[in-house]
Amino acid sequence: MANLREENKERARKMGLIFFPAFDWAITPTHPEREERLLYTRDQIFEEGLMDLPEVEEYKPRLAELKDIARVHFCIPSVESLVTEAHLIAAGSTLVLADAYMNKKITNAFALVRPPGHHSMRVAHGNRGFCNVNNEAIMVEYIRRKYGIRRVAIIDTDVHHGDGTQEIFYHDPDVLFISFHQDGRTLYPGSGFVDEQGGPKAIGRTINIPLPPETPDEGILYVLEELVLPILKDFRPQLVVNSAGQDNHYTDPLANMRFSAQGYAKLNEMLAPDIAVLEGGYAIETALPYVNTGIILAMAGLDYSNVREPDFVPGKFQMSRTMEANIVGTVEYLQGIWEARDELTATAVERAGPFFRRRKDIFYDTDGIREKQTESVKMCPDKNCSGYMTIDTDAARGYGASESGFGVFVPLFACKRCREEAREEYEAHKIDSRYNYVFFQDKNSDNLRLYSTRMHNEQVY
Amino acid sequence: MLIGIDVGGTTTDAVLIDEGKVINTSKVPTDHDHLLECLMSALDEIVRDISPKKIERVVLSTTLITNLIAEGKTDPVALIIEPGPGMNPEGYTLGYEVHIIRGAIDYRGREIQPLDESQVKNVAAKISERGYRKVAVVSKFGQRNHSHEEKMREIVQKASPDSQVEMGHQASGRLNFPRRAATTMLKVAAQDRYREFADQIAQAVSKRNIKAPIYILKADGGTLPLDTSVEYPVETIFSGPAASTMGVLALTPPGQTSVVVDIGGTTTDLALILDGVPLMSSDGAKVNSYLTHIRAFAVKSVALGGDSRVRADGDEIALGPERAGPAYCLGGPEPTPTDAMRLLNMISIGERVLAEEAMAKLGRNLGCSAGEAAQKVVDVAVDKLLREINGMFLAWEQEPAYRVWEILQKEEIRPQNVVGVGGGSLGLVPLVAERLNARGIIPENATVANAIGAAVARPTLTLTFRADTERGFYTVAEDGTSGEIKDRKFGQKEAEAMAKKLIVKLAERMGIKEYASEAEVTHSEVFNMVRGWSTSGRILDVSMQIPAGLITEWTGGGR
Repeated sequence: MANLREENKERARKMGLIFFPAFDWAITPTHPEREERLLYTRDQIFEEGLMDLPEVEEYKPRLAELKDIARVHFCIPSVESLVTEAHLIAAGSTLVLADAYMNKKITNAFALVRPPGHHSMRVAHGNRGFCNVNNEAIMVEYIRRKYGIRRVAIIDTDVHHGDGTQEIFYHDPDVLFISFHQDGRTLYPGSGFVDEQGGPKAIGRTINIPLPPETPDEGILYVLEELVLPILKDFRPQLVVNSAGQDNHYTDPLANMRFSAQGYAKLNEMLAPDIAVLEGGYAIETALPYVNTGIILAMAGLDYSNVREPDFVPGKFQMSRTMEANIVGTVEYLQGIWEARDELTATAVERAGPFFRRRKDIFYDTDGIREKQTESVKMCPDKNCSGYMTIDTDAARGYGASESGFGVFVPLFACKRCREEAREEYEAHKIDSRYNYVFFQDKNSDNLRLYSTRMHNEQVY
Repeated sequence: MLIGIDVGGTTTDAVLIDEGKVINTSKVPTDHDHLLECLMSALDEIVRDISPKKIERVVLSTTLITNLIAEGKTDPVALIIEPGPGMNPEGYTLGYEVHIIRGAIDYRGREIQPLDESQVKNVAAKISERGYRKVAVVSKFGQRNHSHEEKMREIVQKASPDSQVEMGHQASGRLNFPRRAATTMLKVAAQDRYREFADQIAQAVSKRNIKAPIYILKADGGTLPLDTSVEYPVETIFSGPAASTMGVLALTPPGQTSVVVDIGGTTTDLALILDGVPLMSSDGAKVNSYLTHIRAFAVKSVALGGDSRVRADGDEIALGPERAGPAYCLGGPEPTPTDAMRLLNMISIGERVLAEEAMAKLGRNLGCSAGEAAQKVVDVAVDKLLREINGMFLAWEQEPAYRVWEILQKEEIRPQNVVGVGGGSLGLVPLVAERLNARGIIPENATVANAIGAAVARPTLTLTFRADTERGFYTVAEDGTSGEIKDRKFGQKEAEAMAKKLIVKLAERMGIKEYASEAEVTHSEVFNMVRGWSTSGRILDVSMQIPAGLITEWTGGGR
């Protein structure tokens, strides 16, 4: 299909916006992810009259279908029990905007919604990092399924590493995932290092840019200019998604960066995402009202120069020589990885053998769950097929009993052989009593099934 | 006895109601340069032979402000705004004389940058020198902290003691600074002209020995006593469609869902009544090019009327938007939908022979018979109305929502009735109703439903209460009332009780205290403010309203 991104550059700017603050939903009453989070943002963007602008079109959210969730996640014990209505609305909001964007009703979009999702991985036992299901991944797979798009870039601009999104697309060479974040040695979730570069068949399609604490606008915009934008130019995505956290802000209580509202607006102007989806950001008074106003104006193509926090003056934060050297070093290293991605991929595939296997320990901070996984990906000889995957999972909640599962995943552009083998794996494991749940996800045919070995029943999503 | 008068664009309609029955009606042509005379001649016609003592209530709906603003006949206003951080204020279109002042207040009403008073002084001197005597001063978030607006007013008034200065928070306390600035400006611009008009009306009515209270109809279908209405001149805009909708409410059974189809000569106004409640526009009304905070019914004006010119465009029918004169069957120059309906015997006005001639002419261009041409015209008109009506329901369903429950509860609603009113030919109404699977209703006195609506509309009132217990104060959006809250335990129950007290006071000030007991809480919400993992205060929002409705004296029609 024609590249909608290119077409949109020629058209008058019309930004689609969904503001869904979920004023009646919280994780717990005092949790950062609570009713109050977008209250002052509401006040600011409504007082500005942004919804009246001819460049802004406000949309109403809808609920995502369970099938939309199952297309991405193996939810244990089931999709229904893992998500609340608020999660379905946050995810559904991205789908409303995706449809409006793909149908050319709007030129770009911002889902200013909560609850967030970028820490949710393929297998979901509960809430980790305030996230139950991954809004961006749900949207991307919905768009790819419905509109036949193949190449997507997701840029995670949250201060925390977007480990969930990374994990979901780790083996997919058609999804470029770039995350810049505060160095994982100093912040949750403790990952996102430069050596996490994608699965053997997708090396370089995951790019992690850990940044030193206290990095100001200058540092982040440098990374964008020198690394992210050139990579995007090479990759030529059909869709660019900003996984748009706002916690790089200099007042965020949960992180230590020095990014400003002006920086956020500039970032969105430079990156020009087709669709941005809110992630974290918990400086609900000092940052969010200003950052969101800045992002909306920038995405609507309007002047944002008058947006500033009350205590902000240009030049408030300076970058030290050491910090600069650190960032330049990271950028140069990753430029090298990107340049060499094809050779690196070939070597990695060769080294992996017929199946690539890795073990993962995953901790769900919010729900106190410890999960152990073994992931296995077929190194399919077909160059265009990224190979089916299986995941063996076992998760213990608190000190209670554990839930186990076996998931079989077929990528969207899988070969016939992989699809057949995957189906056989699924059928074989339905009688395997080691697992409580067996899941089959064939994105190629949108065939999504969850089998309970205790109840002996199969649910088709 | 109740009197309702609606000054419309073409005619001024009046009714006299006694014990739920319309006992007299009148229609006079509207003369926009002599509105008072129109009003009085419509009035005189219905009260002839009636003792003035028997008259209990007079309600007027006028286009005065609509026309004054449209024709630019209001007073020139200088606007002084304090926009603070956010959108570039140079981008606002708020008139020619706009001055931007340094200073800022934030969303919780905290001063984040002091007001630059010397700058205000300079501006005040400049606008005074230029001859402005009407000034609007508006701060972003001024509704949550009035001090900067008050200071600006003080400085302007000192520089020019004879000027009238209006503050933003008194025009509206709702969020949306550009709309508040426009609303404030229009209010101060229209006030003097409106007051003159109100005085003249009061005199003219009293000259006729009518001692009954006089009310003015607002765009939200509510009434206001004439003397209070001078404080709210702009709210009287667009009262015509509100009058028709209230008329339909009065003439159909209570609690039903209806589409109001008010057909005029060149336009048809569509409005919705959902479960007996007229649908309000979610945003304020648009007045000329200005978006405002003025509450109004959601009315869709369609360029299609009984007199719309009909032409052949290839083998398609082109309807309107302009009018060439009356319908051909009534002696006009060109074919119209009225002619089509006449030929098909859907209506009985006009000469059938002329209607046939008109349709035959149209048929020749379309390559079909007169009867077929008439059918085509009617089909196109019905399709157009249906599209608009369905679009209105869809727009209502698609209104943004910010809470989980709001998303879950909104269901698809379709109308039970399609009600035709107004001066135009109503032949299309049954056809539209049939296509919507609804009942078509053309009530008795449909041509003066607007005046009936005015006569029986009750006052409306809204109150939006907001308390911030951490900062220890509350504000009322509608009139900028504010005060302290000392009780740190102030919760939802206390907030609702306080809102109820405040709406009674507000109703008293508006001269409608007898309706205060009708006020209901429409929305109540608490946000716990958590700072450092413990609750440091609450933000409480309570909305109350007296919704648009009918006075209890009305016992007629569908009641």
